[in-house]
Parts: sequence; structure tokens; C-alpha cells
Amino acid sequence: MLYQIIGTLTGLIGMILSIKRFKEGKTSPTAFIFWLLAWGFLIVISISPNVTSYIANIMGIGRGLDLILILAIIGAYYLLFRIYIMIENLEMEITKLVRELALRESEEDE
Amino acid sequence: MAVKKRVNPKDVTVIVPAYNEEKTILQVLGELKKRGYTVVVVDDGSTDSTPHLLTRFKDDDRVHVYRHIINRGLGAALRTGIEAALFMGSSYIVTFDADGQHDPDDIERVCKPLIDNKADAVIGKRDFSKMPLSRNIGNFLMNIITLIFYGVWVSDSQSGLRAFTRKAASKIKTEDRGYGVSSEIISEIKKRGLRLKEAPIKTIYTPETISKGTNFSVGIKILIKLIINILKRL
Repeated sequence: MLYQIIGTLTGLIGMILSIKRFKEGKTSPTAFIFWLLAWGFLIVISISPNVTSYIANIMGIGRGLDLILILAIIGAYYLLFRIYIMIENLEMEITKLVRELALRESEEDE
Repeated sequence: MAVKKRVNPKDVTVIVPAYNEEKTILQVLGELKKRGYTVVVVDDGSTDSTPHLLTRFKDDDRVHVYRHIINRGLGAALRTGIEAALFMGSSYIVTFDADGQHDPDDIERVCKPLIDNKADAVIGKRDFSKMPLSRNIGNFLMNIITLIFYGVWVSDSQSGLRAFTRKAASKIKTEDRGYGVSSEIISEIKKRGLRLKEAPIKTIYTPETISKGTNFSVGIKILIKLIINILKRL
């Protein structure tokens, strides 16, 4: 029972935070929908853990827990990849900045 | 009798990306200056005495020094150099390594096909039989990667001595910050429909020139990055 309460509360808090971030324009519509679905899924499986076994059976995966683990691993890798892209973009921005500084500084010298 | 067109050094700007090259930079710049070329040095955040040595050229109107305040990699430095050279109005743009591995006399050789209007971009082809084994493997790996990922085969995809017409240099837009830029340049040449030629050049091997450049591990890093770049586009 306890884990059902914790799971549902976490899901609800997550949803509220996602809505808040979306309203503040900090999340894109796609990311917002993704997070709503993810938190919604957490609430559903907290209330009714059997759902995972049902979905796992449909997908041909043995147990509900296995399904969750697989989804968690895929989700973690996806997030890692997103972070990698974010860092790459930051690096590109830094490079542009450094180049601009180099070109300007030299212009000023001349 | 046909008049042989010669390379006028005044039309050529040589870009020298430099990262911790205190042992060789003055000699390389001196040789280039002696031949009458305009030089653009991009000090890529060196932490040795390279920046100090470059202050000697502060009032030199033939050597222009640009400094990256932090190290950004070969690709980033080359792009800064190309942008500076384009801004200066150069007709021909040559990239030249600062570690002393190139013979400055080869600049004429790589510029010749451009002046004869036989190519828009020329890549200097080093003699692989004289190259140390680890570098040889690294270069071969990069040639294969360039072929697989960009669909172009060049005998020396990692050569640091390249020449471009102004038009070609302005079309080439590189994003790679590191050594992967060499393959990216080749890909851009193909993508923009530019004419590419290779010209044989000499390579001077010293401990400095051997320690830098594309070895096997650099090749692997570039390969991983290329795969991730493809995934990013999905």
C-alpha cells in the first residue's frame, strides 16, 4: 500500500511541476507531452501494478517488473543522449563566442 | 608558347592553427614570411610560451594573430582562420600545420591547380611509405571512415596542407571542432560540388610532428563522434 501512495504522489508532483514548467515556457510541447505520459504511467502502475504484467504479456516480455526495467533503461539512455546533445550545443556556442572574441580583438588591435 | 602562371604570394593567405607550438612556430612563420605570404595564425588557447612568442608579430602587417582564449580544437581554429582570411579579401587560402611537418615550398604546388583553374580545392598528399606505423594506421582508418561516412575517397584525408579558392573557402562550413574537421572539409567539398584535386607534398618527420595528429586512438574518437552525429539527425 505504501508504495502505491508514494508512487501516486510522486507522479502527481511530477505532473504539477511539468505543467508549471510548460506554462513558464521552459519545456517544449513534445517534452511536456512526454513527461505527462511518463508521470501518468507511473500513477497508473502505482495504483494498479497488474497493468504492467498485462502490457508485458502483450509485448511478449515475461514479467511486469522486467517491462519496467527495460523501459527505465531505455529512458535513462534516451536522457543521456539528450544531455550529450545539450552539452554539444553548449560547446558549439562556446566555440562561436571564442571565435567572435578572437576576431574582434584582432580587429581592435588593428 | 603558353605562359606558365606562377603563384603570386600576395594573393595567398596561409592559415596556421597553433596549439602549444613554442618549439616550431617562429621558424614556420619565418619561412612563410620569407616567401611573401600573408599569414593568419590562430593561437588556439596555447598554455606554453606560444602566445608570448606571437607578440613579436604585433606590428607586423603580414602576420595576423588571432587568439582563442580557451582551447577549442583544430577544427575551430581552422574555421576562425578561414573567416579571418575571407574578411581580409584573400584570393587563395592555404592551411598549414604549425608543427613544422610541411615544406613551405609545397604551398606553390597545392595552389597551382587553383591558379590554373583546374580545381577549387587541393589537398596535399603525403608520402605514406615514410610515415611511422601508428600514424599510417590512423590515417588509413580515417580515409576509410571518410569514404564510408562521406562517400569520398582521398589518399590523404588527414593532410594539414590544403588550398582553396576564395569561393570554395566561403562555401565550406565546418562544425567539427577537433581533428574530424579534415574529413568534414572533404565532405563539404563534395556536398558543395567543388572540384577537388590532390597534389603530392613532402613531410618532415620530427618528434613534434609524430606526437601530434591523427593516430589510431584519435581515429576511433572521430569514428564514435561521426556515429553519434548520425544518431543526432534521426
